[in-house]
Amino acid sequence: MPTKEEVFEKIQAALVDALGVDDEDVTPEATLVGDLGAESIDFLDIVFRLEKAFDIKIPRGELFPEDILTDSKYIQEGKVTETGLAELRKRMPFANLDQFAKNPAVQDFGNLLTVADMCRFVEGKVEVTD
Amino acid sequence: MRFEGKTAIVTGGSRGIGRACVARLAAEGAKVAFVYNSNRQAAESLLDELKSAPGEVRALQADVRDLQRAHQLVDSLFDEWERIDVLINSAGVVKDGLLGAMTADQWREVIETNLGGTFNYCHAVTQPMMMARRGSIVNLSSTAAEFAARGQVNYAASKGGINGLTRALAKELAPRNVRVNAIAPGMIETDMSQVVRGIAGDQIKKMIPLKRIGRPEEIASVAAFLASDEAAYLTGQVVRVDGGLSLGGY
Ligand SMILES: NC(=O)c1ccc[n+]([C@@H]2O[C@H](COP(=O)([O-])OP(=O)(O)OC[C@H]3O[C@@H](n4cnc5c(N)ncnc54)[C@H](OP(=O)(O)O)[C@@H]3O)[C@@H](O)[C@H]2O)c1
Repeated sequence: MPTKEEVFEKIQAALVDALGVDDEDVTPEATLVGDLGAESIDFLDIVFRLEKAFDIKIPRGELFPEDILTDSKYIQEGKVTETGLAELRKRMPFANLDQFAKNPAVQDFGNLLTVADMCRFVEGKVEVTD
Repeated sequence: MRFEGKTAIVTGGSRGIGRACVARLAAEGAKVAFVYNSNRQAAESLLDELKSAPGEVRALQADVRDLQRAHQLVDSLFDEWERIDVLINSAGVVKDGLLGAMTADQWREVIETNLGGTFNYCHAVTQPMMMARRGSIVNLSSTAAEFAARGQVNYAASKGGINGLTRALAKELAPRNVRVNAIAPGMIETDMSQVVRGIAGDQIKKMIPLKRIGRPEEIASVAAFLASDEAAYLTGQVVRVDGGLSLGGY
């Protein structure tokens, strides 16, 4: 059973490999897109690496629910609708969407996910000890 | 030996163009696993033929229309080889017929095998290739994608689909140093083209500027080039290998 510290270290290693960033760039507060420069293909790469590092299966779209953001049911004039936000909250319990909800422009969504969110995401999948 | 220490998967590798690709890669030192569907005899005769090749060759039975099987097959090869350098998608079928008389099964079989099979194996190798930051995919298209023949609505659509898939996937995977290209052969001497060659062979030869039907080895040499590091700066292209057939004019 990994500790929270070990979860962070493995995620850090995955991000360093996938994004070509330095160890010290990967802080808990760092956002994946804004601070670490991740693009959409990187999310796939990151998911592959997490699956390998933690020996887990991550259904596509679970970490980054791109399907919601491209579904006209949930998007109006470039913004996520109330139902869309509710759906995102349901799908991403590991992320804090409060700030994003104030002005939910789709183009800003990518900038929401932080390294700490990813740690919470993985902690929800593997049992961790303190 | 451009493929020493490298590994390759070739679908449709038991006969025709795929078979020539397997032989070529094995001759240049690759470990090759090829996929066949129903003709076990052909697969075994190839294994026999390549027994003393510098590379290693093995045959795996799978229907390329099965995505789950594609993943299982690729995953187990990756577990063993720890790398997948090359994928050649050569499995393909023709079921010609005029559209008005074409059955839904004829349509589906061709689309699902040619285009669906290509998607399935690209899907399965994406993860290992992306993570390794290395890989080359070669898809067998056809000049039929762009130059119409009567009775080939299904086949032309499948090959046009492969061209689009090739370009779009090339763009997706380029940042990960994985290259994706296609070859569009003209008329090549294999079982697939046998019927057409039988009926219209001489006429077709007259239309080909090089005045002859191509040999599978002449496609395999281009596939090996695209798969190798010699083509390191080449991606998203559909290379016509057709003796000049597609030049048109007179
Ligand atoms: N020959 C030409 O003139 C020509 C021209 C342009 C493009 N092409 C393209 O080049 C590729 C190879 O053609 P070819 O002439 O070499 O054909 P071929 O001689 O008929 O060989 C076809 C190969 O595909 C395999 N295959 C067929 N359906 C499959 C399935 N569902 N799952 C797994 N394997 C399957 C066959 O295995 P089994 O025998 O075990 O079923 C065989 O190994 C095709 O994509 C074709 O469209 C050919």
